[in-house]
Amino acid sequence: MRVSWKWLGSLVDLSGYSPQQLADILTRGGVETGAPEFLHPGFSGVVVGEIVSAEKHPGADTLRVCQVDVGAAPLDRGNRDGAGLDNLDVGVFVSVVTGAANVFVGDRVPVALPGAVLPGIEGSVAATELRGVASGGLLCSEKELGLSFVGTERSRDGVLILPADAPLGSDLGEYLELDDWVLDLELYPNRADCLAMIYVAREVGALIDRKAVLPVLVSTGDPWAAGTLWPASAQEVVVEAVDWSRRYAALLVENVVVEPSPMWLQNRLRAAGIRPISNIVDLTNYCMLEQGQPLHAFDLDKLAGAIRVRRARVGERLTTLDDVERDLSGDMLVIADDNGPVAIAGVMGGLETEVTETTRRVLFESAHFQGACVRRTSRRLGLRSESSLRFEKGVDAAASGSVLERLACLLGELNAGEPVGFKEQMADIPARSVIVLDVARVAGVLGVAVAADQVREAMERQEFVCRRVTDELKDKVAADRATDTVFEVEIPTYRQDLKIEEDLIEEVARMIGYDMIPTTSPYSLQTQGLRSEEQVLRRRVRHGLVEAGMNEVVSYAFVGEKDDGEWGTADRQVRLLNPLRDDMSVMRTSLVPGLLSVAGRNVARQNSTVAFFEIGNIYLARKPVVQSRPIAELPDEEMKVAGVVCGKEAKHWSRGEVQRGFFYLKGILEAMGKRLGVTFLLERFQSEDFADGFLHPGRSAVVFAGDRRLGYLGELHPQAAQKWDLRQPVVFELDLQVLGKAAKEIGHGLRARTIVAKGYPRYPAVQRDLALLTAETVAAGAIEERIRALGGELLQQAEIFDVYTGPPVPPGYKSLAFSLHYQSKERTLTDEEVDEANQTILQGIQEEFGAERRMT
Amino acid sequence: MRVMRDRIHEIEQQVMRELEKRLSPEELQELKVRTVGKKGTLTALYKEMRDLRNEFKREAGQLINEVRESLEKAFADREGEMAAVLMERRLREETLDISLPGLPVRRGYQHPLTLVIDEIEEIFLGLGFSVAEGPEIETDHYNFEALNLPKDHPARDMQDSFFVSEEIVLRTQTSPVQVRTMQKMCPALPVKIIAPGKVFRYDDDATHSPMFHQVEGLFVDKGVRMSDLKGVLLLFVRQMFGEDREIRLRPSFFPFTEPSAEVDVSCMICGGKGCRLCKGSGWIEILGAGMVHPRVLEMGGYDPAEVTGFAFGMGVERVAMLKYGIEDIRLIYDNDVRFLRQF
Repeated sequence: MRVSWKWLGSLVDLSGYSPQQLADILTRGGVETGAPEFLHPGFSGVVVGEIVSAEKHPGADTLRVCQVDVGAAPLDRGNRDGAGLDNLDVGVFVSVVTGAANVFVGDRVPVALPGAVLPGIEGSVAATELRGVASGGLLCSEKELGLSFVGTERSRDGVLILPADAPLGSDLGEYLELDDWVLDLELYPNRADCLAMIYVAREVGALIDRKAVLPVLVSTGDPWAAGTLWPASAQEVVVEAVDWSRRYAALLVENVVVEPSPMWLQNRLRAAGIRPISNIVDLTNYCMLEQGQPLHAFDLDKLAGAIRVRRARVGERLTTLDDVERDLSGDMLVIADDNGPVAIAGVMGGLETEVTETTRRVLFESAHFQGACVRRTSRRLGLRSESSLRFEKGVDAAASGSVLERLACLLGELNAGEPVGFKEQMADIPARSVIVLDVARVAGVLGVAVAADQVREAMERQEFVCRRVTDELKDKVAADRATDTVFEVEIPTYRQDLKIEEDLIEEVARMIGYDMIPTTSPYSLQTQGLRSEEQVLRRRVRHGLVEAGMNEVVSYAFVGEKDDGEWGTADRQVRLLNPLRDDMSVMRTSLVPGLLSVAGRNVARQNSTVAFFEIGNIYLARKPVVQSRPIAELPDEEMKVAGVVCGKEAKHWSRGEVQRGFFYLKGILEAMGKRLGVTFLLERFQSEDFADGFLHPGRSAVVFAGDRRLGYLGELHPQAAQKWDLRQPVVFELDLQVLGKAAKEIGHGLRARTIVAKGYPRYPAVQRDLALLTAETVAAGAIEERIRALGGELLQQAEIFDVYTGPPVPPGYKSLAFSLHYQSKERTLTDEEVDEANQTILQGIQEEFGAERRMT
Repeated sequence: MRVMRDRIHEIEQQVMRELEKRLSPEELQELKVRTVGKKGTLTALYKEMRDLRNEFKREAGQLINEVRESLEKAFADREGEMAAVLMERRLREETLDISLPGLPVRRGYQHPLTLVIDEIEEIFLGLGFSVAEGPEIETDHYNFEALNLPKDHPARDMQDSFFVSEEIVLRTQTSPVQVRTMQKMCPALPVKIIAPGKVFRYDDDATHSPMFHQVEGLFVDKGVRMSDLKGVLLLFVRQMFGEDREIRLRPSFFPFTEPSAEVDVSCMICGGKGCRLCKGSGWIEILGAGMVHPRVLEMGGYDPAEVTGFAFGMGVERVAMLKYGIEDIRLIYDNDVRFLRQF
């Protein structure tokens, strides 16, 4: 809501306050107000002139020489003399050369006289000579002056044409009352009342403790009593959809003279950001700005038959004032005559019945339409207006009738027409509500010691009637409360946001100031703040991966449908009905595509060594999704951790480059597992259906913990890698819920650690190396596992320390070297014992894997 | 006997002379073996001593012993000196270029958002708040209706939603966790939680991200006051932004709190004098808060006549931006490693 400082000042005394101070007071009072804007765009030396003659320029076809009467405007003589233009008229006439084609003799226009300053232009206007003809000023366009909504239609492509009664020689800024500030109120939905100047004035009055002086609504007497003054020949007005329209009041005006509004009215509209159109339309807007009630004016002679407020019918259409044809539907409310809809209730009127220059009879509508209905219609049509904005937030149904009195009054002031009829239909107008306000409760909720008088004053400053609770309402007060500090407060109908006691407690707090609330510690019992097990797990995984060298990312939970489908579960994707873009159209069913796109973006920017992970939900519809049918139940949300590594770590002086490949990531996962006490087991994909085309079949694995399947780890299939512009990226994705179960069952536990600590053997260990030659296809892990089994109790450790292929190892074979540690808890081992154990292992391995001992 | 004495002294003097020279460790060892070793010249004199008369045997024995002792000491000293020289030489040879970088132990970086959430959690855990969560895809009921935002209520315009169906939305706020938690806990008291998480709004421009994070707070008990809200938030703000921060509450509007407040913190850059960050006001808007609306308490299963509560909600991105001086929200979701490496 744009509030003109001058207009506001006419309703409440603002002396002693600057616009900025008032903005701060409003903001601190709960009506957030931006920095005040000075209306004047910053020109000076521009006066109103009238074109007295316009001759073709002797030396240029596109120019004209105009004699302009500028009244008694003071000219900058120094400038003129300096320019040596002696033939220029002295006094009230200036000769101006202009290229504008839209000015004619008799037009009143803004003239920038020598010395004038225009916004956005360096220096000042000087008298000059154009192709041999002296020019003593400039005729200005709206744009040059930094103005809008001032000129008539003819001004559009050239010089600003002012109203014919603009006083000659007057300063343009003064004429347009630009010496004004605008306060921009950013209103929350609860303060719909502040969409009207009179209630803004009341609010300001309450905050600075001065009483607002509002326009008196002059009642013209008895005929105003509902429906009594209505010419027999005039249209019937029937509200059919009473549930959506509580009130419909109509004012019939004849002998209408459609003309431009007086400048004071236009200036107020412009300050509020509304373009003046004609006196009739302007008055509807003016009353709306002042009173908060949207009005609409119909050209009565273009209406046929009775006026009905009804639901739109299927297939009905209406071309609205903005010249767009709208399709209407049955849940929209319209105003219709016998031929069909003439306005969309509360949103916009129809083009056909709009008031034009030839209009002679007008029907003004002041109605109450249900906010939800207007909001729905406005959103459906993508059409918002000052009217719909107000109806959505709630218009005071009690005031619809009286606003027409104000309108009638202004019509009279402007001599714009003669009210001849008034009629209204009303249903179910809410009565003033009364709220019980207990001072003890105010103090209890706010935690501030507040006296009954302060509470009463806070109400009365807002002009709410506040009295000791009456017998009628006493039963609403808790029995143990002393009723002498309980009030009942009458809520004015324009404050529909005040419904319960808490609402009034806020009003008290606003009036005494939130700063009066002290800071205290809660009385409550001591509580222990806890994280859930899931949260504990997530933090351990996150910190583990970070310590292992991975960077955490956070990416959008919505992704492109195709990329996600490839990695996740296409038939359970949750689709957005209104995605921002195509690549954000479904909720992710895998974290991997998001990570690949982060990795791709980084590599493209030459951050070529990447190691990223993300922890977050994926979203799965409960049942396979049928295209074009939205899901009916909330989807499952599964917490996952996923990562991607790619590239090489740069050479270090101490060693060569390290490939961020499969084993790099496997090592990181192993380290992360250790934090949880969980050992991951890898198995090749059994069925190739997932890995096919996405993961490298020879470099991918299903990840298990115990017999729980957690997810996968693998290098991208070269084709998939190419698509993401990455070279040999390796990814993993694990289910955190399953990992959490594993951590509890076989690991260290989560919130409660379930570690059982053991001592260590005190007898010396014997170390033996075992080098084996085996077929390349035999898994080292399988041999290692067998070695452990064969080694029995004495074998404490078995680690692969070398893997070798190439000469002298024959093709198809590889050499594996294990380091074995033997140790007993009870005694020092003898060489014979160790040799025997080693021999058992060797024999077992030879038998099972056909491996040979390799002598080194 | 004189001959014997002379020979002893001669050996002594000869060794002393040799020791004056710059001997290598090997030469020193050889000299030692040659003189005082088992088959050394001085040791040999013990044998010859047998040929002396008894009266001289004792004297000669004493003399050999004395000289032997003094020579051994001289050898020990010399060896000591030599070891020191050798150690020095070795240390000199072992000198490293300490300016070379250490062996790489790669460390990653936590994302600033989770870092901030961790920090917020720690503060509130310390104040006895537990960490709760709720679904990110929500029903219209929990996201709006249960929070006193009926269908077609104008306050819904404050939060444009992404829709999954007419009744299911991506949650636009973490506030639905309020009602879900109350329903789970009712009738236990106090309800004392924070709820961090992702939220989504149909918004995408230079200052808004369609997905962002909030931390919700809720405290319901008998006798919870707005002044308690102020007290708890002041503690939080001081831990998060510095001990000398102040807070200021302004009336505001949220459908699910009444009274409602916008909470400003005194500017962490200028301390309240006014600067570019706080646009000259000295205050920075940081979170929304208020007393839980009676209707929301009812939806959670509690009787508003019996209990009161406060709730607050803050944007994690905003906190992170203020805390780390991040000027563009898009950096947060761009995930460029050069940005991430700073945290």
